[in-house]
Amino acid sequence: MSVLLSRRDMLLAACAAGAAASLPFDTARASEALSVFGPLPPDPAPPGAAKFAEAAFEAWKKAHNAQVSYDLLAWPQLHDRMATAFASGSAPWNVLYMCGWVPEFAAFLAPFADDLPKALVDDLPASSFETVTWQGKRYGAVFTLSLLTLFYNKEHLAEIGFSAAPKNWDEFKRAAKELTRAGRYGFVANYGDPAGIGGTASYWMAFLQQAGGKMYGEDGLPVFKGDAGVAALQMMMDLMPGSDPGSISYAGINDATNVLMAGRASMMMNWPFMWNAAQDPAQSQIVGKLGSAILPAGPAGSASIDGTDAWTVSKTSADPALARQLVEFYLDADVQKRQALDTGWLPIRLSVLADPEVQQKLPNAAVVLEQAKHPYNSFVTPDFNQVTQALGTEVQKALQGQKTAAQAIADASDLVTAIVKRRG
Amino acid sequence: MPSPATYEQRRQTAGLFLLAPSIVVLLAILGYPIVESLLLAFQKVQLAAGGIDRQFVGLANFQRLVADETFRRALLNTLYFAAAEVVLVVLIAFAIALLLNHPFGRAGLFRILLVVPWAIAPVANAVLWKWILNANYGVLNGLLQSLGIIDVYQVWLGTPVSALNFLLLVDVWKSVPFVALLLLAGLQRVPSVLYKAAYMDGASRLQTLMHVTLPSMRAAIAVAVVLQTIWSLRIFDLVFVLTRGGPADATVLLNFLAYRVTFNFLDIGYGAAIANVIFVMTILLAILYIRLVRPAGEAAR
Repeated sequence: MSVLLSRRDMLLAACAAGAAASLPFDTARASEALSVFGPLPPDPAPPGAAKFAEAAFEAWKKAHNAQVSYDLLAWPQLHDRMATAFASGSAPWNVLYMCGWVPEFAAFLAPFADDLPKALVDDLPASSFETVTWQGKRYGAVFTLSLLTLFYNKEHLAEIGFSAAPKNWDEFKRAAKELTRAGRYGFVANYGDPAGIGGTASYWMAFLQQAGGKMYGEDGLPVFKGDAGVAALQMMMDLMPGSDPGSISYAGINDATNVLMAGRASMMMNWPFMWNAAQDPAQSQIVGKLGSAILPAGPAGSASIDGTDAWTVSKTSADPALARQLVEFYLDADVQKRQALDTGWLPIRLSVLADPEVQQKLPNAAVVLEQAKHPYNSFVTPDFNQVTQALGTEVQKALQGQKTAAQAIADASDLVTAIVKRRG
Repeated sequence: MPSPATYEQRRQTAGLFLLAPSIVVLLAILGYPIVESLLLAFQKVQLAAGGIDRQFVGLANFQRLVADETFRRALLNTLYFAAAEVVLVVLIAFAIALLLNHPFGRAGLFRILLVVPWAIAPVANAVLWKWILNANYGVLNGLLQSLGIIDVYQVWLGTPVSALNFLLLVDVWKSVPFVALLLLAGLQRVPSVLYKAAYMDGASRLQTLMHVTLPSMRAAIAVAVVLQTIWSLRIFDLVFVLTRGGPADATVLLNFLAYRVTFNFLDIGYGAAIANVIFVMTILLAILYIRLVRPAGEAAR
């Protein structure tokens, strides 16, 4: 039997099909699509992007009838991509990675973290919410305990009679100087990029807190122009004779990490990912020689800064509840454990940090936990990039001998005051 | 009663009608961003309440430029960079063009080799040089030490003067090939009869170069100078990959500063003001370029 269809019949059939498709049938719910914006590995990428918890991720998607697509970029490009997307009103993401940028982008985020389950929140360090809270609302959940700690070559330190890491500034300076010999350097850092978390300014912030200082007063204006600010910078300057002179040109953390892993430097301040990388013979010549310790104490004790790697949910997300559930999945205890064991990025959940298997594989986990008992404020504000650019540039001038510590800190204070006042 | 259109008028109307689509496209992709950028330069633009808040502030952003030490430094760096690059690129490119024009240099292989630096993608070129200049593993340090020129490895990007000049060197390396080919084309247009006349008059090689070659290539050299100046104002990738403007803002050029202020600091209005300074400088050079490449007869009219 043949059926002849006229063009009119076909048009009618198409209209009917279109109308039928638009009817709200519950029986076949279409899968929800979530878009996640974050960093590429080896920076802390989510499951499915980095190689961990992949089976659990597939199971979660199936259970929630959700499609998750990743939009991943190299870490240095993340901020600017987000800024462009928000400014143009075309940010398509449901879940976004943040690193100290919550105050800057708070107007585009949902304060979803207030709705996280109590059991989960209770298993997170209370201080982990500090850098994702703005004007009393929690906009994010930190997913890795990422504090700067000291990594050192045990063999090198033993050569100069140190059986453990330097415990205070004096020991730190002495060790750096004595270790600088035979074509290698006592200390290496990435002072090449002044701005952002992990830039020159943020290293100074760690020293500032070790000296007992802080960035801002109650009125939001800078208060670091004082003894602590100057002492912190002077400490950095005093370390320079024992440092790899290339430090001032290393713009990224990997530039400095490579020097330590090649055995050409003996100490550096680094994030927890360093541990796993240094145990990999394919990229490290110091396998089994790496030690980890809390940062040497200044006049006020040890202190660090927070890497503030967090997940946030977009205010314009079509399904904020599902987006929140995805973040909860990222923070699930089993996923956190695999994150630690497989990628080296420590978990944020206290129960997972205390897990014997995690502690055995990552001995630096206990060190980071110990570091967390001391201050680790990264002083993030909406002007964080501009403030750290101005501050870090002055620090660089002092490190190069263009200014004294006192001059550089006074000038930095004036610049930061102007930036804060311009914000209003 | 209006007089009927002449043939010439009808021809011009038809021409305008046919050009209209192109004009619309040009206005959309060139005109709109230029106008929008100019408007932004007179506004304070902030991300707020999930959108953009724009306030007209008159000349405030341009007044900030005058008082901004970083802008002044970037302007001076850019002027130095542009002047030094033009001189180096044109001199080196001219020397290479003379070699390629020599009978021994006319093999296609030389021209292919010459084009390689120019053909490498800008970011790949910057990454390549980042490793060459590395203070710990760099090829340059290894080479110079093995030749006995340096005792210890140097931090080429570690001091303000050195960092800026190495950026310059890297960009010269990348820019020379195209300008060399441009000048080679100019060189090949010099009538051979002039060289024969100079030879008959007993001119030396230097005299021939000074009084025959260079005057005959004036237009080609002028075009190379203007184009290279425009290109040197656009430098961004090298700064971003190699130094991020450091150390201590020593290598901040205007283009990089406009990017940093706009996208890192989200100070969009002020960033637009900086971008417009670059735009004005570029447009002046572009006008000069157009005058230079205009046919002689048209210029006289």
